[in-house]
Amino acid sequence: MSGDSMQYEVLSPWAEADPVPMKGLTASRQTDLNGKKIGMFCNIKQASHRIAPVVERRLKERFPSAEFSYYRGKAFSVSEMEPQNIDNFNKWIDEVDTVILAVGD
Amino acid sequence: MKYLVYDTIYIENRNKPTVTLAYKYFINDAESAASSRGLPGIRLVPEPIISECSVMEDIEAGVDEVFDNIIAKLTTPLTEEEKSPKQKEAEEPARIIFKGDLEEVNRFFYQRGWMEGLPIIPPTEEAVARMLTGTDLPPDHLVARLEPRMGKATVEKIAVNAVMAGALPTYMPVLIAGVKALASSPMADVWAVSTGAWAPFWIINGPIRKDLNINDGFGTLSPGEIANTTIGRAMALITKNIRGVRKEIEDMGVLGNPAKYCLVTGENEEDSLWEPLHVERGLEKEDSAISLSFPNCYLQVHSYSTDDMGLLRTIIYNIAPRMMGQISLMMTPGNARTLANKGWTKEKIKAYVMENAHTDMDHLPQYYMPGDEKKDPKQEVPLIMARPGQPPPIQIFVAGGWGSWTGILSGQPGITEKIELPANWDKLVAKYRNVVPTYVRY
Repeated sequence: MSGDSMQYEVLSPWAEADPVPMKGLTASRQTDLNGKKIGMFCNIKQASHRIAPVVERRLKERFPSAEFSYYRGKAFSVSEMEPQNIDNFNKWIDEVDTVILAVGD
Repeated sequence: MKYLVYDTIYIENRNKPTVTLAYKYFINDAESAASSRGLPGIRLVPEPIISECSVMEDIEAGVDEVFDNIIAKLTTPLTEEEKSPKQKEAEEPARIIFKGDLEEVNRFFYQRGWMEGLPIIPPTEEAVARMLTGTDLPPDHLVARLEPRMGKATVEKIAVNAVMAGALPTYMPVLIAGVKALASSPMADVWAVSTGAWAPFWIINGPIRKDLNINDGFGTLSPGEIANTTIGRAMALITKNIRGVRKEIEDMGVLGNPAKYCLVTGENEEDSLWEPLHVERGLEKEDSAISLSFPNCYLQVHSYSTDDMGLLRTIIYNIAPRMMGQISLMMTPGNARTLANKGWTKEKIKAYVMENAHTDMDHLPQYYMPGDEKKDPKQEVPLIMARPGQPPPIQIFVAGGWGSWTGILSGQPGITEKIELPANWDKLVAKYRNVVPTYVRY
């Protein structure tokens, strides 16, 4: 491609996009996990169903009075792809104090 | 990854604190997904456990390695930055972005991440204006906002990417319909970013195939025709520059896929005795249309025998268990005629495949899901299953040369979008119709 002295004024191929307003986190973190109900969210990745129980076991050792509750997603995303399960999902979220999600790939 | 992030955001928006475990190589992807949905502060724990890990010692060790971080992210109070993240400034990109010679333009675009590695045609005002003769729509017309970035696919941006790809102005109606197909395909954004490296597969139907010299015969999926190649390439550039799907940031394809350069064919309607794909989906035969699906692999199978049952057995014995129960069948015109002459319609073939393509339970990933130890590994299970109330997840089309091969592509059956033509279509076609290669015999 060298040796071509012709000059080209070129248009940008990169699309414009409206800026997404950035929001902050609002949920206060639990300062002590003892006595708290910890939600264990497993998505459709196989490993999530193996990782979550290990995390639970470790947490129980460190926080003996913590309780655990599992939610197992049946699609890539519960919130975006399982409208039929959204009420159960909301109920589960409301019943736990904090959530650990597993696993991103 | 991104869908786990979306669930994380959903839970945080219900005012419940979260921590999300992510394989360390996917943190870029997770952060991009969080930011694209406006909640950049979600708490991620990068962990070292390989994707889909089933080795418990590795999982135990991986959890041990990050356990203190999990607790810290669960219990540390929110920082000011997490509570009030910086707002992103609105992008105000210059329309004319660069001036230079051919090499400098290519270098500039490549360094900006706007190319896929092959040289481009510089999208000058003149070249883009010429490309815009392929449509009646004004340059600022917004065809769609494309996920995941929600980039604005205006007619001009489509034309800029089309010029870069080396497309002809007559391809604009196809590209505009392709953008609409991307926007209306419910899973397009999943397939674009998935670790499985699914590639957009474009099948073109109707009279426009002949107008544009789109190959649907010998070697149709090989390079060689400007229409097939540059329509696919333009859509790939649109995916990068308008949808905002960049390798290892949003596109987390692990092995990658050469089909992401381009995977385009026409359907050979003239030699098929079956209804073409676009007519199956409610359009008229005289309409032109583009269909979009997302395979991640493509198997070429030589027929066991060329009678109808030999052809059908070739199909059912070669569907791979990991094709996830959804396929496209690319039937050569000869094989399609053999089947049609024996009374096999597309519907009958789909029913036959659904009924007869089986495998052992332990050939499917479901067998390896933890929790149910009572599965019989040798239970015979169907390879293709329709969801309740849904048609068979099989797409059949006729393409390829006169030989006894069948293409089996993974992936859901696609969607079809009608191609709208500009008023001066015949004149335009006449101008570019003779752009065809002439090979010298040696």
